[in-house]
Amino acid sequence: MTSLALPLLRRALPGQLTRLTGVLATVVLILAAMPIITMIIMSFGASDTLAFPPPSYGLQWYRAAWHTFMSPDASDVLSMGQALGTSLMVALATMLIAAAVAIPAAYALNRFDFPGKGLVEQFIALPMVYPLVMLGISLLLVFNYLPLELGIFRLVIAHVILALPFAVKNCSASIAGIGPEFEEAAYLMGARPLRAMFDVVLPLMRPGILAGMLFAFIVSFNEFTVTFFLYDVDTMTLPVWLYSRTVSSLDPTVFSFAVFIVLIDFGLIWLLEKLVGDDGVAL
Amino acid sequence: MLDQNSNARPWLLLLPVLLFLAVLAAAALAVIRMSVGSNGDEWHSVSLTSYADLATPYYMKSLWLTLRLAFQSTVLAVLLAIPVAIAMARAKSKLARRLLLTGVLLPLLVNLLLQSYGWLIILGPGGVLNNSLLALGIVQRPVQWLYRENGVLLGLIQTAFPLAALPMASALKAISGSYEEAAATMGASRWQILRHVLLPLAMPGILSGALLVFAYNASAFAVPLLLGGRRVSMLAVLVRDQITPLLNWPAASATSVVLMLATLAVMALSQKLVHRSQKMLGNTP
Repeated sequence: MTSLALPLLRRALPGQLTRLTGVLATVVLILAAMPIITMIIMSFGASDTLAFPPPSYGLQWYRAAWHTFMSPDASDVLSMGQALGTSLMVALATMLIAAAVAIPAAYALNRFDFPGKGLVEQFIALPMVYPLVMLGISLLLVFNYLPLELGIFRLVIAHVILALPFAVKNCSASIAGIGPEFEEAAYLMGARPLRAMFDVVLPLMRPGILAGMLFAFIVSFNEFTVTFFLYDVDTMTLPVWLYSRTVSSLDPTVFSFAVFIVLIDFGLIWLLEKLVGDDGVAL
Repeated sequence: MLDQNSNARPWLLLLPVLLFLAVLAAAALAVIRMSVGSNGDEWHSVSLTSYADLATPYYMKSLWLTLRLAFQSTVLAVLLAIPVAIAMARAKSKLARRLLLTGVLLPLLVNLLLQSYGWLIILGPGGVLNNSLLALGIVQRPVQWLYRENGVLLGLIQTAFPLAALPMASALKAISGSYEEAAATMGASRWQILRHVLLPLAMPGILSGALLVFAYNASAFAVPLLLGGRRVSMLAVLVRDQITPLLNWPAASATSVVLMLATLAVMALSQKLVHRSQKMLGNTP
């Protein structure tokens, strides 16, 4: 406890956090969270206007949102429940596929030396700088050209590509921390490579794998731009559904839905950090 | 390294990831092919009309606006990220570190659409920003932020600054505190330590963060769509306009190819400049 209280009382030593930096960091982070905070406050407002701060508070937008959720208007192309279902399904599929793809890749990149390795690593990081709009329209071109109907896998393929850099980075970080001696020991005791992989390497990699999976889930659940190009009426995710509701006018029930989504995100991020621990998130 | 003799095994393990990246590559090729097609007969004709059409003042202005906003947001995001990254790297308590990381990840990961709704409330004529500016006496009349460049710029900085903060924090974390102690023993002030020791040592992390922010914001879509409206037409929004109301696929493809090339050119150029300056520094340590 002393370590917590002391830096506030005495001047920080070099190499330690000064109070000025701490205050500045807090201010920046609060400013960065302002849009989210404003939205949460607005959702508790009780007036029809978008004035901030709301003149009075109440739960009327939550009631209206609940009503929309339980008994969707006929005017909506799709109910919120369906959109939420699609979102969760796509995110879950993205998470599982991203993990299945990223684990062997991370293993290969950390345990083998082969020509072209640097190139492969750069290629895997490419989706981070690839313009989202270009990804959206180029995948749309390819999917429209394909003779088969992909359904929600149009979105899953796009989201896996977007989540790959995060998933591979997190798996790599955890495998880099496990020396090859664990596998060598398993081989010495007669384990086949596959068995060593499943019984020794994978359990040790678990935090990194879970972090990568959660990252993939969060990226997919919040993706808007690429999905906006690829969705159709049957495969509308929650963000696109929200956009389609507000395209003509901003109605404050949206804020209640948004608070619901932010709460899910907050929970997922908190869980992510619990898994990642002190090493920070690999980016 | 285990088995160095088996050359096929790493590629076998990489196969799934390469399959997904092959989709990405095929998609990129499709866009390039589409961009040299002509409207109506996209796959069978070759023409450069789409690119020629882009050479109008309207598109040139949009390209310039896109690059300018991306650059401004990069500089400001990096500056704002410095205290946050130092706090993340140097905070002692576990709870503080976790709160910092949550605070950094929220703007990055929470849906851009929702954050833009928040900005709509903040930037509106009677919004928080105008009310505080009026109350502080900085402005006399409400400033129009929405559907103006400055409003979009604020949104771009806020949604992309985590991309600057995260690599910077991991670069700073790797710098041992003893450098700062050494500098302090020799009489350096805190500002001098930051300016001459910490930031130069963390430069690779700062630069990779800056490049991420630039690429992310050059192709920003949700923020300019909601906060910029028709008046701040960044290239990504123009791409959308060409598809949804106009159905002009070659023009949309050409626009996104130009966007991609412009981003790549700026990134390559800045990396080259960095290499050169590092080489110069390396000669005179």
